Amino acid sequence: MAFIEVQNVRFSYDTESVDSREVLHGINLSIEAGEFVALLGHNGCGKSTMAKLFNGMLLPTSGSVLVDGIDTQDEARQFEVRSRVGLVQQNPDNQLVAGVVEEDVAFGPENLGVPPLEIRKRVDEALKAVDMYEYREHAPHKLSGGQKQRVAIAGIIAMETRCIVLDEPTAMLDPRGRVEVMETIQRLNREKQITIVLITHYMDEAVQAGRVVVMDEGEILTDGSPREVFSDVEFLKRHDLDVPQATELVYRLAAAGIKLPEIPLGEEECVRLFRRYLAGEAH
Amino acid sequence: MISDITLGQYFPAKSPMHRTDPRMKICLTVFAIVLIFVARNFLSLAVSVLFIGVGMACSKIPLKLYLKSLKPILFIIVFTAVLNIFYGSGDPLVQLGWLKITLSGILNSVFVSIRIVTLILASSVLTFTTSPTQLTDAIERLLRPLAKLHVPVHEFAMMMTIALRFVPTLLEETDKIMSAQKARGADMESGGIVQRIKALVPVLIPLFVSAFRRAYDLATAMESRCYHGGEGRTKMKILKFGHTDWVVLVFAVLALGLFITANILIPPVL
Repeated sequence: MAFIEVQNVRFSYDTESVDSREVLHGINLSIEAGEFVALLGHNGCGKSTMAKLFNGMLLPTSGSVLVDGIDTQDEARQFEVRSRVGLVQQNPDNQLVAGVVEEDVAFGPENLGVPPLEIRKRVDEALKAVDMYEYREHAPHKLSGGQKQRVAIAGIIAMETRCIVLDEPTAMLDPRGRVEVMETIQRLNREKQITIVLITHYMDEAVQAGRVVVMDEGEILTDGSPREVFSDVEFLKRHDLDVPQATELVYRLAAAGIKLPEIPLGEEECVRLFRRYLAGEAH
Repeated sequence: MISDITLGQYFPAKSPMHRTDPRMKICLTVFAIVLIFVARNFLSLAVSVLFIGVGMACSKIPLKLYLKSLKPILFIIVFTAVLNIFYGSGDPLVQLGWLKITLSGILNSVFVSIRIVTLILASSVLTFTTSPTQLTDAIERLLRPLAKLHVPVHEFAMMMTIALRFVPTLLEETDKIMSAQKARGADMESGGIVQRIKALVPVLIPLFVSAFRRAYDLATAMESRCYHGGEGRTKMKILKFGHTDWVVLVFAVLALGLFITANILIPPVL
């Protein structure tokens, strides 16, 4: 069985109220341990709801979410679920609890009742893993947005979480902070085999994942490697979704009659493609 | 910029005072304040002044900063001193109509002034050498016995921690909202007091709305990091009673002995 199994999940907010609206209509999704999955979609397509379902902050109205075989609806095992799947939210200011970086990172393990010496070790390791060790005694409000998000990530790693769900972690950051966070996520996925679920609406970030899941109106539209998903530009456009800039460029050139042999996802790939194309043209 | 305000008055340094266990420092401050109030004559007052003086010297914080901490209450000191001069008994040294200045009045006024000054200095030693986090931590541990009486000690400490964490964030936000309202033509600097208070409403409402949103996010973050109150919770930093603390304790006991002797041997001033 996969690390996270979402089976037939339907979800609506305020089930008691009259204007309750179903946000998710029967989602099926499985995520294997060690995967890097990007979850794409419009605002209001249900992707943030998904984030909170993964660690049991929200419970499905029907269907079930299994984390490492544990049902998130099992209240007695709530902490087991949350120590396996950590959540990083959008606003870097609102998720740090303590007034000193290292004490914030220690917050999770402290809640789990880890012995003090072990916490110290984990905190140091986690801060080194996100490259924030030299800031361990700083106050969070003096850090940049990207640094705060990295501290939030460290706070989750310190719980020895095997999966991190990030809900638009770069939406409020400047371009530099965005790069910092993306590099950190990739490194953690590569070096520590931590499963990453990245919820985003930046196509250029989604491209960096190993797998892209596209959601629209509470349903999963497509699911596949970035190349598979983004090669069907027509399909994404029909659902008002963007494609990475490089892909868009080649797509428009094709419409103008210039056909390139491949569809690029990133800038470098695009440049290489053009170079090859132009060289071929010269001959 | 209002966000430049430093919280508390903590001055980081490496000194014996900084090294002392924060619980010890809190107890010592209370101890010093009690001494100052119990002192009946100049000798015992001198002992308590000396006690606090040693504390200040061990904090490696420039005297200038301590003097600065006295500035806000300078008026109160002068006011009580002047008042006390006229409230003495005995033969008047100077008579101004119904006002008379006596020797006991002058002594009294000096005594009370020293009391107030040392009181402020004692608490300054504590707040200058102890970071807010250490303070909350120490208060939580000192009050722990009260948890048996169902006093929510952990929750109280957690609230303090969060409040301290968010004060700079909210200050920054207030600054932003004020600029935004000014950009829309809000006038906050002129008019009478009523008008100025009214001008604050458009600042406070967005601030409150955003504070609630932050609280919601923070609660989500805390819950997803398995927060479930103080039960079964451990701490990364354990407060340890070290060598410095023993030295400080011995010193405090000596001071107490000296103080009691002085207080009993010499007749009271007041």
